[in-house]
Amino acid sequence: MNKINSLVTKHFRNFHFVSIILIIIILFVGDTVINPYLNQTVSTVFYSPFAKVKIGYLELKSVSEDNALLSQTLIDLSMKMAFYEEAALENDRMRSILSFKPPQNYALVPAKVVSISGEYTPITATINKGSNDSIWVDQPVINQQGLIGRISSVSPDYSVVQLLTDPANRVAARVVASREMGIIKYNISSGMYLDNFPIQGEIKVNDKIISSGLGGVYPAGLTVGVVTEVIKEELAAFDKVKILPAANFYSLEELFVLRDTIIQ
Amino acid sequence: MTKLLPYFIYFWLIAMHQVFLADVLSIFGAKINLVAMIVLLVAMYKTEISATWFGLCVGIIGFGGITEISAWQALIMALFGLIGFNIKETLNLDSLFARLSLVFSGVLLHNIIMILIELNENILISILNSAITGAVYTTLVCSLFFLIKDGIFTFEKTKSIF
Repeated sequence: MNKINSLVTKHFRNFHFVSIILIIIILFVGDTVINPYLNQTVSTVFYSPFAKVKIGYLELKSVSEDNALLSQTLIDLSMKMAFYEEAALENDRMRSILSFKPPQNYALVPAKVVSISGEYTPITATINKGSNDSIWVDQPVINQQGLIGRISSVSPDYSVVQLLTDPANRVAARVVASREMGIIKYNISSGMYLDNFPIQGEIKVNDKIISSGLGGVYPAGLTVGVVTEVIKEELAAFDKVKILPAANFYSLEELFVLRDTIIQ
Repeated sequence: MTKLLPYFIYFWLIAMHQVFLADVLSIFGAKINLVAMIVLLVAMYKTEISATWFGLCVGIIGFGGITEISAWQALIMALFGLIGFNIKETLNLDSLFARLSLVFSGVLLHNIIMILIELNENILISILNSAITGAVYTTLVCSLFFLIKDGIFTFEKTKSIF
């Protein structure tokens, strides 16, 4: 036993070097037999934990980049969608405008509303057409729904429209069914109403009201609204008739100025 | 087993370096040759047999798995361990400069051998671009290790600067 021990101690260095050389020879020779198993062991023990961490990090990075890209795409698409929705609405309006015919002897000058002013209700609207487009004061303004107002002031490129919702505005009007006449007025508390309508006149709810053509500003036959309520008061000379305007004064976008083709 | 634990830690350190640290720490294409550096360090501070065995194992493990040149790498790294130890024994490596010279020449030699094994088209350009710069970079990192190990660069001294 002692002899073996002394032999091992004596040749300890050589024993190790021979082992190392043998391993290297096995690596050279056992290319297809040992190496796959050795490779699997080395990969599993030493490389796979770090490879997993690296793959996880790269995936997270990729997800983060995708997230940023998708967020940007979402913003772009939202903006495009809003644009297309607006275009679709405009398309609908334009289609309804195409079938719209002006009164006889009048030409339509299309205009866009630039701004609207008024504290509680819209009172005036500024449009993008002016004297350069043959727009003058007192020309009537309509849209496809009905009468809107008249031009109150003009500059070369812009004009101001006095709307029917301006309490200072007056329109001579007529009930379509009975041909009785009155004056369309507006006040903030009671809304649009037909004033000066005689108590003996025939009028009922849902009767259509149009402009009478008297006064020389508005041509006859422009739709103003429909009757919503008829209030008959004792000892009063006139009925009070509430009117629902044909046009929505809170959503004005495209308007038409009526230009008299005979005079102008 | 506890004697082997530091060597396993070295293996894992090398594996971690190969998987992601090598690319992160590379500067203008110059990479730290951690494999050669650690083998030379083991040769400087451990026994001849330990250095040779460690070189052999690093040759098998330290290059991202077993490939057709793994046997060559095992042989080269085992020789690195053996020769590194014998140089340390023969020469006086007490000074920092001498140790760094050994590390620089060893790493440079290893880089050149690796370039020759890979048989790139532009061997000279690769040697100039990556072998020398990589050796310089590795030597700088190794000098930091020596400074810390010799107690020249300590946390207290670093604190005293600020």
